[in-house]
Amino acid sequence: MNNSPENNLAVRVENLTKRYKNGTHATCGIDFVVRCGECVAILGANGAGKTTFLRQLTTELKPTSGAIEIFGIDAIQDANKAKLLMGVTPQEAGVFETLTVTEHLEFFGKLKGLDKNSAKIQTDELIKNLELEAEAKKQVGMLSGGQRRRILIGLAFLGKPPLLILDEPTTGLDPQSRRTVWILLKQIIASGVTVIFSTHYLEEAEQIANRIAFIDGGKIVADGSLTELRAGFPNKYRLSYLNGNGQIAEPHTEFFADFAAARKFIGEREISEYQLATASLEDVYFSIVGKSLTDGNDEQ
Amino acid sequence: MKKRLTDIFCIFQIHLARLRREAGPFLLAAIIFPITMFLFASGIAGQSNETVSNNAKLHFLAASMVFSLSLTAISWLGYLMLENRFTGKLKLFATLPLAPSSYVFGILIFAVLQGSLGTISMLVAAKILGVQTNIGGVFGVLLLALTVFIALLALCGISVIVAARVRSFSEGSLYTDALGAGIVLLAPVYYSSDSMPRLLQWLGWILPTTYINSAISKILAGNPFVGGEISILVLMALVLLTVGFKTLDWREE
Repeated sequence: MNNSPENNLAVRVENLTKRYKNGTHATCGIDFVVRCGECVAILGANGAGKTTFLRQLTTELKPTSGAIEIFGIDAIQDANKAKLLMGVTPQEAGVFETLTVTEHLEFFGKLKGLDKNSAKIQTDELIKNLELEAEAKKQVGMLSGGQRRRILIGLAFLGKPPLLILDEPTTGLDPQSRRTVWILLKQIIASGVTVIFSTHYLEEAEQIANRIAFIDGGKIVADGSLTELRAGFPNKYRLSYLNGNGQIAEPHTEFFADFAAARKFIGEREISEYQLATASLEDVYFSIVGKSLTDGNDEQ
Repeated sequence: MKKRLTDIFCIFQIHLARLRREAGPFLLAAIIFPITMFLFASGIAGQSNETVSNNAKLHFLAASMVFSLSLTAISWLGYLMLENRFTGKLKLFATLPLAPSSYVFGILIFAVLQGSLGTISMLVAAKILGVQTNIGGVFGVLLLALTVFIALLALCGISVIVAARVRSFSEGSLYTDALGAGIVLLAPVYYSSDSMPRLLQWLGWILPTTYINSAISKILAGNPFVGGEISILVLMALVLLTVGFKTLDWREE
């Protein structure tokens, strides 16, 4: 594989497979390319293989077979060199409760190779951007779960790496904090940083990513921009309605290729309570994967 | 090299911050409990109000110092490394361009600091309790420091192996608790080797606490000839840490 920055590739994955000792195939021959500056959202139900896939990219998990290159560096053979180029927020990571927020960020900045002054400057910036000014001098153990999660996101941004890999970065955050992280992510993406993140929040994928990949059964089953994914879904309109007529009302959903067909359907059945909207990303996901994002098994 | 030293120092500082909130358990494991064991052993030895000889007190002081080192390096640091692994803190290090050995060396420096504090506290407590030591000037102090340092390396090797190999936090906690006290009680530390069952005498030969105790006892009594004990401890430290480093891998299979 030739994945040098000149080729404009940040990540190149070939035939990536992970088979656990118990025989479970968590990823099954994934081929995947991310260009520099792209922001890719990985969507999938629990147990689909999102975390396993990302943990192989971050070098935490050894693949059974396949190849991973990060900016042209073989991430399997030369993990430390590859790790210099990425910032990672693992899904379930702990923070050091006895450190203050400032200390936590500064120490990890130094561990990423920043000198004392740069670590301090970047720490101050991140504390401001993550809206943690009031907590800067508090021990991390005194913070809420959402505030701790924001620190973990901040740790990934330290050192300004050209690639961010974030595994469900906003899970557990309240809506306000989630939007703060979105704003920060959008700024970072605008500066040319490549971002790969997994999420359960469809709105997050729609808001931030310029490319979305659906993963199911350890395989990438669809991959493209939101427009491209929607274009592949023939039913553009989603009608949700209550079928009552004096009986107990039952919710129904129908999909239509065009608006007129949907209006005709409503008129013919004399439906009075309904909602007609363009098909959502979840509808597209459902049509491709055959199940909802909330279905699935817990991932290993 | 500079990056590696910075990494080690950062890991040390991160763990040093724990003492802000967890000084109590450290004092208990490294100082209070060993001093209590010293008083207990001295009390048992001096049955019927007999006066316990200074030699016996020196023997119990050395034993309690070994107990302090073992509780610090195996029970306390082992617990700390288990917590790092099973609460997701280790994941943060695993995603950084950081060598696993830098992590272990950072923890080792923390262990050396704690071991030094424990040893100094034990010596001060012994002085207050009227135990006459004969360390013998700067050379004796340096020899004691060297012994404590190598002892901590060997004992930390055990912690690293346990923390890296166990499958759960509870399993690891049981091992570190049992080993922290066990390798002192199963070795000829508080008792003489002759008074122990044969099986334990044989076991004593392979436990580092036997040689740590022998070296510290000699140094406290003013005998500087501890080359044999230190050589064996260096060998044990090398083996245990090598196995520990090989066992600890950032990357999961």
